Amino acid sequence: MDNMPQLIIRMGSHAEKEYILKLSKQFDGIIVGANIVEATAGATASLIGQKLKMPYYIDPMTYVFGCDLEGIKSEQKIKGTKTTAKVYKRAYKRLAPELGDIFSNALEKKIPVLPEDFTPAVLKQVCQKVVDYQLERLRREFENDPEYKEYAESISKPASVFSPYFLIRSEEWFNLFLSLSKATAEIKPDRPVHSVLCADYEKLIDSSFIKRATAEIPKTGVNGVWLWFSNFDEWTVQGEYLSAFKDLVGKLNKTGLEVYNRHGGYFSLALNKFGMKGISHGVGYGEKKDVSQIKGPPNAPVVNYYLPDMHKRFDVPTIEACLHALGITTPTDFHNKICDCVVCKGVVKNSILDFQRFGEMHLATPESKRKSQTPATAKRCRFHFLINRIGEKNFIAGNDSATITQKISDAQEKWKEQFPIINNSKHLARWKAVLSS
Amino acid sequence: MIDLTKESSLLDPITKYIKGKGFRLQAPELPFYNRSVDVYGFSRTNNKTIAIELKLHKWKKAIEQAILYQLCADEAYIAMPRKFIGRVNLDLLTKYGIGLISVNETGRCRKTVEAKQSSVLRIGYKNNHIDYLQRQLNG
Repeated sequence: MDNMPQLIIRMGSHAEKEYILKLSKQFDGIIVGANIVEATAGATASLIGQKLKMPYYIDPMTYVFGCDLEGIKSEQKIKGTKTTAKVYKRAYKRLAPELGDIFSNALEKKIPVLPEDFTPAVLKQVCQKVVDYQLERLRREFENDPEYKEYAESISKPASVFSPYFLIRSEEWFNLFLSLSKATAEIKPDRPVHSVLCADYEKLIDSSFIKRATAEIPKTGVNGVWLWFSNFDEWTVQGEYLSAFKDLVGKLNKTGLEVYNRHGGYFSLALNKFGMKGISHGVGYGEKKDVSQIKGPPNAPVVNYYLPDMHKRFDVPTIEACLHALGITTPTDFHNKICDCVVCKGVVKNSILDFQRFGEMHLATPESKRKSQTPATAKRCRFHFLINRIGEKNFIAGNDSATITQKISDAQEKWKEQFPIINNSKHLARWKAVLSS
Repeated sequence: MIDLTKESSLLDPITKYIKGKGFRLQAPELPFYNRSVDVYGFSRTNNKTIAIELKLHKWKKAIEQAILYQLCADEAYIAMPRKFIGRVNLDLLTKYGIGLISVNETGRCRKTVEAKQSSVLRIGYKNNHIDYLQRQLNG
């Protein structure tokens, strides 16, 4: 078995393509939400089909139609007037009919889909449409464009296709999840079929839920499963959740399924030793995600500096306050003891004070009252994070579990006197305990 | 008598107290990256700055904050209601050179632990903060 963990980057918008293009050779795939495809179909087809040439996945995003539909609305200007109204985003309006009438009807009636809406005929139709969408949408975009028509055949098919999925809130939703997985597998598309097990993270310690998942998912005939436990935060959840997650990964993998975490960090990556095939996350965040927060946070999140030893982000002053005590007074010390990635070597060059460039802030507009992160700073932090994540992936691939946990112990020892860091790094002890048990 | 169930109640006694110690130029909620220093003061007489974290009882969090403030102030303190200071780990304060000020129900402040001169002070941060205080003063 190839035990190299896969790192599949999730593109949240085309503004992120610079990171993906520059590091594409180091990623194992790209995943794009169908809403992004619909918002920018030509650009997505061009990026995936022509520029990247790497395995890709299209997330059909069906779950949004089973959640509060307010989540897919935005303030938009009403044509011919100066007023705005909260209406469905164009991307989702375009996506719904692509995936099936049931979704268009939901938008029209302003009522989210329910398990009982899926009669056997509807269920079959939805699975077929969702599969066709993933297999054909990008190719179709090129076929419909006279300028690009000749390139349509060059667009490969996705690495796998997802069955439709929703947040599992009850037995009825669980039954629907299994039926959708089974019906999609029965289509036998010429790509592997993956399902998405999407539930609140509390379900991890619900023994009947886990028992059912491990017993029933393999019977559906899918080839893989992507786990999405809403709000599962590797850094803050208690050990019992981490253990339950690890056990679930192992059990599903033992049945022959490929297991991925839809939003994961270093802990999920390290679970490669226990059956996790790969993880996915965004270019600067997205290592955890709340299902109900479809729109994203209200303000653009600050991209903090990823501290490699802790596998976690911290703001600049938190790290800066510890440098002196760690004997780090020069750029060389910094590269030896904190990070020697190409970004850090370029930024922390002349003085240790250069580290502050990872925290630069400005007044974004003349009207701004509070300073915010500069775009250049966010970019530095994202590239530094991604380069480190690639390094972590290679480290996990090349080492056994004991070495991985030893490295965590070494980090704890190194930082144990640094109160602002270690007081916020209790996850390391939990990770170590779970990974070594 | 002051209401010591609210963190904001500590502000007034503390600003008066440090003013009396010569830190006449002051600002509450001074921005420092994405954080804000609860009270920041500057004494022109001896060119010293002070940063104070106000907390009702979460002393660990307060120490964590104060350690960061040592980057931008000569002295960093935590200030807490007198009835809670018994919980504070004084060894930890001493180890990191953080000072402690207690505030009683009448608003009287008392320095319980003296802060040490910060060994990690970044002059750039300090000067920026002094500029900020002066800009605030000049409107």
